[in-house]
Amino acid sequence: MALEIKGLQLIRPAGEGGELNATIEAGSAVVVVGRNGTGKSTLLQTLAGLLPPKKGQVLWDGQDVRLMGPEMRASCMAVVASTPPRESRMTVSDVIELGLRAGGHMHDLQAVRMAMETAGIDHWSQLPLSALSDGMAQRVMMARAAAQGKGMLLLDEPTAFLDVVGRREVLSQMGDWRSEGRILWLATHDLEGVEAAGWSTHWLHLHPGRKQGGTFHKGPFVAEKARQALVLDPNPKERA
Amino acid sequence: MTSQKLTIVLLLVLMTSLFSVGLFSGPADLSMADQWLALRNGEGVAGTILWQLRLPRLCMAVLSGAALAMSGMLMQTYFRNPLAGPSVLGVTSGATLGVALVSLGGLAIGVPWGLSGSVSGALLGSWAVMLILGAVVGLFRSRTALLIFGLMVGYLTGAMVTVLQAGAEAGALQAFVVWGMGSFAQATWTGVMTLGMAFAIGAVWCFRWCHVLDMWTLGKLTALSMGVNERRLTWGLLGWTGALAGLVTAWCGPIAFLGLATPHLVRIMVPKSRHIDWVLPVVLTGSVLALMSDLIVRFVGIPLNAVLSIMGAPVVLWLLLRRSPGNSSSVKA
Repeated sequence: MALEIKGLQLIRPAGEGGELNATIEAGSAVVVVGRNGTGKSTLLQTLAGLLPPKKGQVLWDGQDVRLMGPEMRASCMAVVASTPPRESRMTVSDVIELGLRAGGHMHDLQAVRMAMETAGIDHWSQLPLSALSDGMAQRVMMARAAAQGKGMLLLDEPTAFLDVVGRREVLSQMGDWRSEGRILWLATHDLEGVEAAGWSTHWLHLHPGRKQGGTFHKGPFVAEKARQALVLDPNPKERA
Repeated sequence: MTSQKLTIVLLLVLMTSLFSVGLFSGPADLSMADQWLALRNGEGVAGTILWQLRLPRLCMAVLSGAALAMSGMLMQTYFRNPLAGPSVLGVTSGATLGVALVSLGGLAIGVPWGLSGSVSGALLGSWAVMLILGAVVGLFRSRTALLIFGLMVGYLTGAMVTVLQAGAEAGALQAFVVWGMGSFAQATWTGVMTLGMAFAIGAVWCFRWCHVLDMWTLGKLTALSMGVNERRLTWGLLGWTGALAGLVTAWCGPIAFLGLATPHLVRIMVPKSRHIDWVLPVVLTGSVLALMSDLIVRFVGIPLNAVLSIMGAPVVLWLLLRRSPGNSSSVKA
C-alpha cells in the first residue's frame, strides 16, 4: 500500500505551481503546511481523487486515483473537512454506519458498535449530530472517515474550529491511525499542536511559486523549522 | 412500538378518516345507504358523484400532497436550505408559465403519452427551471442567493404570464385565473393515474437514494469522499422533483406552501432520523394536509391557495424567527 505522486501540478492556485513528486509508504503521516492560498485543500482533494490535477498523476497502489470507481476510492481513502456538519439530524451511530457502508464494509449493529468503541465515541452513539459541540462532531466525522477509508485519511485543518481540549483529542486520535498502518495527510496551521502530538513522519512545505511546488522533509515535524521556512514565503497578494 | 411507527399509524388513521369524510359528505342530499350502494355499483346520480367527482378529487389531493411534500423534502436536503421547495425556488412558476404558453398563448407543443398540451407545458416549464437551477447551483455563495434566484424566476415568469394574459381571449383567461387559484376539483382519472405512476417511480428513486441523501447532509466534500456521484444525484433529484411539481401544477394549479412547510412539521414529529425513517411520515403528512385543506375549500368556500397560505405563511415566519445554528444566515449553502 503506497501513494505515488508523479509530476503533480494542482489546478489551484492558477497560473503558478511547480511539480510535486513523492512516494509515501503505508504507516506514514505527512503534515502539510503553507501560507493561505498555497493550495493545501486543493492538494488534499487532488490526492483523494476529488479534483483533477493540472498535470501529473496520483497513483494508489499503482492505480490512478482519478480512474478508480467512486466506491472503490471511498473504501481506500476518506477526507475530513475542516467544518463538521452541524445540521444533519442523524445520530452518531447513523453516521458511523454510513461511513462503513460508503467504504463497502459490514455495517451491521456490531460492526457499528466496534467502530464507535475504537474511536472512543460509543457513549454518544444515540445523540444527534446537531446536539454535539464542534469538537465532538469533528471526532465523529473522523471516526466516520476511519470506518470508511482503510488505506489513507486526508484531514483538511480538522482542528481549525476546535478549542484546546478538542484539538489535543483530535491530534492524538490521528496517532492511533498511523500506528494501524494507514497513510495520514494533515493540512494545518496548528504548528505547535502537531509537533507536540509527535506522530508525523514527513512534512511538506507548499510554495507553488518556485520551481518545485513544495519541499518534502523527512522526519518528524518541527514547528520552529516550519515557521522559519514559512516566513520566507512571499505574501499571497505579492505572489499574485 | 417506536414513536416513529406510532406517528405513521396515526397519520394513516387521520388520512383514512379525512378521506372518508370527503367521500361521504357534500352538498348533494344523499343518504349514507345510497352512497354505500353507489360506491359499490357506481350507478345513478350518486354513483356519478362518487366515482367521477369525489373519488378522483380525493385521490388527486392525496397524491398531490404526497408528491409536493416529497419534492420539498428532497429540495431542502439537496440545497441544504430549510426554505427550499418547489414554489419557493421558482419551479411552480416555471410550470405556470408553461401552462400559460399553451392555454393563453396558443403554443402548440408535442403531446407525448396522450397527455394534454398544458400538462406537457407544465412539465417542460418546471424542468426548464430545474435545468437552470442544476447548472448554476454551484455558483451560489449563500442560501439567500438561492432564494433570491427563486424570487426572480417568479417575477420573470409572472411578467411573461401577464403579457400573455393581456392578449388572451376572455374564456381562456377566466379558465386560467380559476386554475391559478389552485384546486383539486378538476381532477380526472387520467390525471390521477399519470401523477400516481410518476409518484410511484419517484418514490422508488427516493427510497433507493436515501443513504446517499444522508451522506449529502454531511457536507459536499464529505459526501464526495464517501463516493456520492454528484452528477447522478443532481439530475435524478432535480428531474424527479421537477416532474412531480410540474404534474401537480398542471392539474391542480400552482400550489403554495405544501412542499415547503410539510417537511418542517414532520421534523417536529420525528425529531432525529435518517431519510429512510422520515420519507414515509413526510409523504403521509403531505397527503393529510392536502385532504384537510380540500375539506376546508369545500365547506368554507375559499380557494385552495388561500387556505394553504393562511396555514403555511405562519410556519415560514416561525422558521425565520427560530434561532438555531441550523438556520442562521451566516452558514454557507
